[in-house]
Amino acid sequence: MTSKRSYYWLCIALAIPAFIWLVPTLWMVSLSFQPNEVLARTTASTWLGMIPIPFTWDNYAKLFSFGDTPRWFFNSIVVAGGMTLAVLAVSTTAGYALARLEFRFKTAITIFILLGLMVPEQAIFIPLYTMLAKFGWHNSYGALILPRVAVPIGVFLMMQFFKAAPKDIEDAARIDGVGPFQIFWFVMLPLARPAMMTLAILTFLYAWNDYLWPLVSASHKEMFTITLGLASLQSNFAQSEGLGRVMASGVIASLPVVVLFLIFQRYVVQAMTVGGSKG
Amino acid sequence: MARQTTGKRKRTLSQQQAAWALLAPFLATYCAFLVYPFFKGVWISLHDWNLLAVAMNPAAAKWVGLHNYVHMLWGRNITWGPLSHPLVQLLALAVLAGAFGLHRAGRLSGRSAIPIAIAALLIFLLLGFTPGEGGRWFDRRFWPTVGNTVLFVALAAPGTTIAALLLAAALNRETRMMAVFRTLFFLSQVLSVTVVTLIWQIMFSPTQGLIDNVIRVFGGSPVSWLTDPHFAMLAIVVTTIWWSLGIAMILFLAGMQDINREIYEAAALDNARGWKSFWFITLPNLKRTITLVVVLQIILHFQVFGQSHLMTQGGPDDRTQVLVRYIYQSAFRDSEIGRASAMAVFLFAIMSVFAVIQFLIGREKSE
Repeated sequence: MTSKRSYYWLCIALAIPAFIWLVPTLWMVSLSFQPNEVLARTTASTWLGMIPIPFTWDNYAKLFSFGDTPRWFFNSIVVAGGMTLAVLAVSTTAGYALARLEFRFKTAITIFILLGLMVPEQAIFIPLYTMLAKFGWHNSYGALILPRVAVPIGVFLMMQFFKAAPKDIEDAARIDGVGPFQIFWFVMLPLARPAMMTLAILTFLYAWNDYLWPLVSASHKEMFTITLGLASLQSNFAQSEGLGRVMASGVIASLPVVVLFLIFQRYVVQAMTVGGSKG
Repeated sequence: MARQTTGKRKRTLSQQQAAWALLAPFLATYCAFLVYPFFKGVWISLHDWNLLAVAMNPAAAKWVGLHNYVHMLWGRNITWGPLSHPLVQLLALAVLAGAFGLHRAGRLSGRSAIPIAIAALLIFLLLGFTPGEGGRWFDRRFWPTVGNTVLFVALAAPGTTIAALLLAAALNRETRMMAVFRTLFFLSQVLSVTVVTLIWQIMFSPTQGLIDNVIRVFGGSPVSWLTDPHFAMLAIVVTTIWWSLGIAMILFLAGMQDINREIYEAAALDNARGWKSFWFITLPNLKRTITLVVVLQIILHFQVFGQSHLMTQGGPDDRTQVLVRYIYQSAFRDSEIGRASAMAVFLFAIMSVFAVIQFLIGREKSE
């Protein structure tokens, strides 16, 4: 009895910080539905601006009819989607080879790859910039995707998975004379679906949200990702764009990752924990 | 029989080839876009290398050896004193003494006490260096920038850890309501840094911001948070805690799942519930997770860039200038990529120390 009552109290006590935690996001959404003329005067129209009254769809309509946001959104889809596919391809193959195949220098190669976990992106973006500049590659999808395909964390994740996967099916297939590529493709990959899902979500979130590399590599406005484009709107929203429209861009930029999170919550949490502990 | 052995040999041979074929795509991109740039960065840091000049004429890079490092770290007339930064140095000494005392009293194992003591001693020694009379650092902005970054980490990492720990303790129950709360608290974690800064930049705005609007309702006078030298750093710390609480909370929840239920049940018989059980059972059993989360937060927050770059532009008066932003500016605004690369190597050196600690803690678990 008492424990049930204390549980209700706990829920109420938690509702307050939870609400405060949510307020900034809700406020952004609410502002994105208010007319710019009103916002120029005050952001606290109804209930400190938490309720979008007066209401308008205008900001979203304008967002899609002109301006760069649709293009940036499309770029983000290409970059995040392309990077996810590429990371999956190189990580599953390498992870499988390191976990399950016997070959010379295996330990050395494993250590060589794991050492890469220590190198943060922030420590190598300058040489990456000069490298790609030499070939004139900047402001292309390739430049936004390629440098971030070889992430050691991906190989590490897949290697861990394949190491733990059951051996008997693979052995049976090998005795039947099935070649290593076929075993990898037809036996191991279907087993690895959950791990691949985690890696895919980790990569997609990282690519969608990354700011530093697009900032360095993409200087032409039409090659911005939505994350970078949003930063460029921020620095001059007061003059050119209305606050409501910038907020609408913010909502649009967050929509894919938030939807992804709400649908695949378990994988997202797992992915971010793995990604976070990578450093 | 003979056929079988040749078949086997052929198979093992093809396994070798298959392994290399499967590894090739990764290894190629890994070498091209991580290993090579890493060494190239070290190479650039040994040159007086102007981005624009070298782009025009590759011969413009001039070998200067370790000059960029000396310029970054050292100065003219640098002297050492035990009380150059009295507050922090005394604190370091206190930690050193504390670690020693706790170890002698048997409260702290040697494996924890020694790294703490070494870190405290290093801080005490390094902070003793200051420019003497008429002297100055060669790079006036470098050490203050490092100081800001450390201050940022020193505020954001414990802030996030403590908040996440308390939340996790409250949310560690398998009910639907708690699952909803977990989702709510984790939600901000998936947003990009530019969305987060967009939200909080306006939250903190003195004319349009929600915070100052609330202050006005209660009759207070608005504060210009992001341009006030006392509050700017605090503002980006609050933003960061809001953003990065989720991972820490999830790691703590995972750690709490591993604690044996029976300990709590036994303690409940002795009337240890709520705060008592948190203090005497949860905390001691979470030691490893807490260390892991703190190290993780240090690694994460030391590389802070977006919050400072977008919310305060390093200001006011360089108060929120952080290391990665300084590297970015030196490289792409001032085109001094030789100096910027030296700082990037410095960043890597610090990060690798913590990466090794993280690796050692991670290994402890599997043992």
